Amino acid sequence: MASMDQSAVLEARRLYNARLALKADKTRAVWFPIAVLAVLLALPLLQLTSSNYNYVLHLVLYTASYVVMASGWNILGGFAGYISLGHNVFFAIGGYFAGMIYARYGVSTIILAPLAGLVAAVVGYVIGRITLKVRGPSFIISSLALVMIFRILFDNWDFVGGAAGVSLPAIDLPVKWAKVPYYYAFVVMAAVTVYATYRIKHSKFGLGLRAISKDEIKAESAGIDTRFYKTLAFAMSAFFVGMAGAVWGEYLTYIRPNIFLIILVSVNMVLMCILGGKGTIAGPVIGAILIVAFNEACVIFFGGSEINILATGLVMALALMFFPLGIIGSLARSGRLPRILNWD
Amino acid sequence: MLTVTNLCKHFGGIRAVDGCSFTAEAGKITALIGPNGAGKTTAFNCISRTMAPTSGEVWLDGGRIDHLRPHEITAKGLSRTFQISRNLADMTVLENIVCQAPIRGWRGLMKPAMPPEEVAKAEGILEFLGISRLAHEDGANLSYGQKKLMDFAALLMSDPKIILLDEPAGGVNPSLLEEIIGHIRKLNEAGLTVLIVEHNMDLIMRLSHRVVVMAQGQVIADGPPEMVREDPAVLDAYLGGALEAA
Repeated sequence: MASMDQSAVLEARRLYNARLALKADKTRAVWFPIAVLAVLLALPLLQLTSSNYNYVLHLVLYTASYVVMASGWNILGGFAGYISLGHNVFFAIGGYFAGMIYARYGVSTIILAPLAGLVAAVVGYVIGRITLKVRGPSFIISSLALVMIFRILFDNWDFVGGAAGVSLPAIDLPVKWAKVPYYYAFVVMAAVTVYATYRIKHSKFGLGLRAISKDEIKAESAGIDTRFYKTLAFAMSAFFVGMAGAVWGEYLTYIRPNIFLIILVSVNMVLMCILGGKGTIAGPVIGAILIVAFNEACVIFFGGSEINILATGLVMALALMFFPLGIIGSLARSGRLPRILNWD
Repeated sequence: MLTVTNLCKHFGGIRAVDGCSFTAEAGKITALIGPNGAGKTTAFNCISRTMAPTSGEVWLDGGRIDHLRPHEITAKGLSRTFQISRNLADMTVLENIVCQAPIRGWRGLMKPAMPPEEVAKAEGILEFLGISRLAHEDGANLSYGQKKLMDFAALLMSDPKIILLDEPAGGVNPSLLEEIIGHIRKLNEAGLTVLIVEHNMDLIMRLSHRVVVMAQGQVIADGPPEMVREDPAVLDAYLGGALEAA
């Protein structure tokens, strides 16, 4: 009798463990992100119809640009736990680097984007080497200081046009097709970034970053070179943000400090990650979609007021009350995350 | 194996460790004991470089390690646990342990986080410690004693030559204590050098081959446990002059 009882307990434990293991390795619905990508890649075909869908293309492109930036930010802010409010600096570096070459030599920024990303990454590595010595609030403040330094620099640097900026030649295509090259550039960049963050999260590097975000001293004594890991994470996140900046300048046909170096850009990256769930793969994507859609809806309903800024704050507060880990993070924690959104 | 020479750590005017020297011999269990505030944990922190020592030298296997960064020391084969178990919440026990597996070079960084051979090794360690049922549990859900065991498991994952245990028995129940003593003994028999900081005299006297006693940052006695137990300086440090008063 006694042994029977024991076997029941063991069986229950085995089932419990099997469930935990299953939770750790949930089969992913890989088809979903691929299907979304396929739909987005086919979307410009709408322009072949008689009406003009430039607005839709712009919205998707805009969202995709934020997906690139928020996912890039997520590498440092989400995985390593270093909240940077200064990532628009890399947006500016990418934008100015590619934009100036485009203005002078006519090389398309879409081709230059990876190179601009590398430049941003190198700058990021150097800056990270200095600022990553501190963490928590001190790091956040140092990242804000970075924005101010770069704002002053770019406002007064005549070679790049100072505060007035530089206007770039517009692309030589009919209006209906003018957005399409940028559209593809951003959608492809977004896909690459999301895939890259997925690969990082599932690598030794990603595991190390997660350890750093939880307990840096423990991580260091576990044999992780924390200084190198977090600086590399900084450089990688700068790479993606810089890439987005490169194409963004040409898309707007203008590079100017108050396009790139305004706090709104970096705050948006952070908000998107926090709303969607930082440290998750799908989080920044969902966050970018929601915040862009929400802003757009506010503009539609309330016109060119600033209600959207007020409302964004309200939505953030509510979201954090009900989804403290972000939408994806909280749903995953409670085991209610739909399969199709489990990209981790 | 591990030699500490004239180690000092000052916090402003406080000399937490003040010229402490001792040796942990290869294949032996050495215990570092002393009353509260004697500087044991600080000495530990300086050896594993979690803190930078003010002065002094630490040698491991004939190489000086006191200028290295903690992860380099871990790579050299010295691993430690923490007094208050520091584990990585939000990560499963298995992830916590695999996290401590050594990584080699650039290419190692992009390898999969949980390669099957490392998972198998981690499961083997958990089996050895008798907590394999916890493998997929969230690190934050563990009890205090389970966390101690998990720390222990993570320690072994890095293939250390010498392990530094900071109060492995602190706050654990008697039956778990027996378990921990058994594990330490088994590992030592397998050739692992052990350095322990501990308050539990029972554990110290039963396990250690050699006891180093610290008081006020200095080593006041050093020798086999039977000898140290009788040492008047040790009794004085622990009982604080109560003997003279009597």
